Amino acid sequence: MIDIIQNTVDGVMIGSSYALLALGFTLIFGTMRRLNLAYGPTIMAGAYLGTYAFLALDIGVLPVALLVVAGAAVAGLYVERLCFRPFGEGAAIASMISSFAVWMQIEEAASLALPHHLNAFPRLVSGQPITVGPFFFRLDHLAMLAVAAAAAALVHVVLHRTRFGLGVRTLIDHRRAAELVGVPVTHTLTLAFLLACAIGGLAGFLIAASEAQITPMFGMWATTKGLIAMMIGGLGSVPGAIMGGLALGVIEAQAQWLFGPQVRDLIAWGVLFAVLALWPGGLLGGRQVAEQQAVQRRV
Amino acid sequence: MLQVSDVETAYGKIKALKGVSLSAAKGRITCLLGPNGAGKTTLMYTIAGILRPLRGSIRLDGQEIAGLTSAAIVSRGLALVPENRLVFPQMSVKENLEAGAYRRKDAAGIAEDIARMYARFPRLQERREQLAGTLSGGEQQMLAVARALMSRPRILLMDEPSLGLAPMIVEEVFSIIKSLNRDGVTIFLVEQNAHMALGVAHHFYLMEQGRVTFSGEPGKLAEDEVIQRAYLGTRRASA
Repeated sequence: MIDIIQNTVDGVMIGSSYALLALGFTLIFGTMRRLNLAYGPTIMAGAYLGTYAFLALDIGVLPVALLVVAGAAVAGLYVERLCFRPFGEGAAIASMISSFAVWMQIEEAASLALPHHLNAFPRLVSGQPITVGPFFFRLDHLAMLAVAAAAAALVHVVLHRTRFGLGVRTLIDHRRAAELVGVPVTHTLTLAFLLACAIGGLAGFLIAASEAQITPMFGMWATTKGLIAMMIGGLGSVPGAIMGGLALGVIEAQAQWLFGPQVRDLIAWGVLFAVLALWPGGLLGGRQVAEQQAVQRRV
Repeated sequence: MLQVSDVETAYGKIKALKGVSLSAAKGRITCLLGPNGAGKTTLMYTIAGILRPLRGSIRLDGQEIAGLTSAAIVSRGLALVPENRLVFPQMSVKENLEAGAYRRKDAAGIAEDIARMYARFPRLQERREQLAGTLSGGEQQMLAVARALMSRPRILLMDEPSLGLAPMIVEEVFSIIKSLNRDGVTIFLVEQNAHMALGVAHHFYLMEQGRVTFSGEPGKLAEDEVIQRAYLGTRRASA
């Protein structure tokens, strides 16, 4: 029992960074209705920029964090210009496939910039874990949870208290109606894309800092984790992304404890399969799917 | 107030509007009738800036708006209540109204206008926290109208506001149209329900196959003929 609680705590802490990954993913999918496969590699590009500066200039961990976020945003802008802006409404497949091409491109570029497969990344905090009774909390995981929660709260405020946020929410809900009330669509989509990549960059920084290392495979890893968490929670749903990320973290932690690290990812995919089979729209998306069907029946 | 001249709009190679000219006078209700596929909705979307015309001019109070973005057109005081209402289904009634005021920056004025919408449409106040997608068709139509009014338009375009509504609700929608107009809102209305439309319109146009084929006041053409042409189009001798 104590183990299960400990795993849940660990899972929530790790899951908080998955939640940020999924949040960025869902902002892009929700507003554009397109899958950005280059999402993870964009984050990896930011992380590589951070670690490059860390190795070359020996800068502190906070400037590295800023560089990772900024690098991910700039790489995201590149992906948006190349894969999303040129295609009009509807060309979802073209965007997805070209984002796959850019994924490969970024991965190659990162390997050329830092030829070692494994690169050191600065830690955010180090020290002995805090023990409370039979439980212990890793400091870097606590920091991860705190930063992720603050970032998610900030995103919530931006979405619900600013005009840009209102525009994003209308675009997630109904693009044509958003145009009709006067939301500047292209401009808002670009900003939402940038915001999503910056959130992803922050998640990437937290994860890389906790592992103290980075490899070119991080891009693929981030895309898959973000995708699974987003789909468990519900495509395009902001609260769903948070829930999906936390759920994925807990499931992985329990699976690793029960079956070992090799089986962990298999279980994650299995859970995704089960969720989609039972609730096709994801945990929170399902209700939305049902509501949308009700709306369509009425029209 | 609104002047459309010689507008052509195409979907790919298919021209949906083949040189449409018409106008809507300030303070009046102008109505556009015509059979399915005549291009009425295309014209509405073209005026609102969602579709771009190939050529022609659209003037609002003398200023050219053809080619502007929909955002710029809303700012200039034109709002469209679209066909099928297109409310934001996952947002509450209140959020829908706030979204309608997207182009405005006067927070106090927006709050005041939301209160005015609730006064005009008490059903919306009752359901202000409810998701718009769960409203009935009639309520969604009220919301779509209220949302468009939130931008404080000088001219309101309405595309088939009676579509799919029960006869009693249709009566209600038309009485709202009349009362809005009494309050000084210029209205340009597309309707399938020719009888109801002719009842409120000061001026009407018939549109068939992408062209305006009649312009006049209600009464100028026998209602039978209007209905015949509005639903079936003019019978053509040769194919």
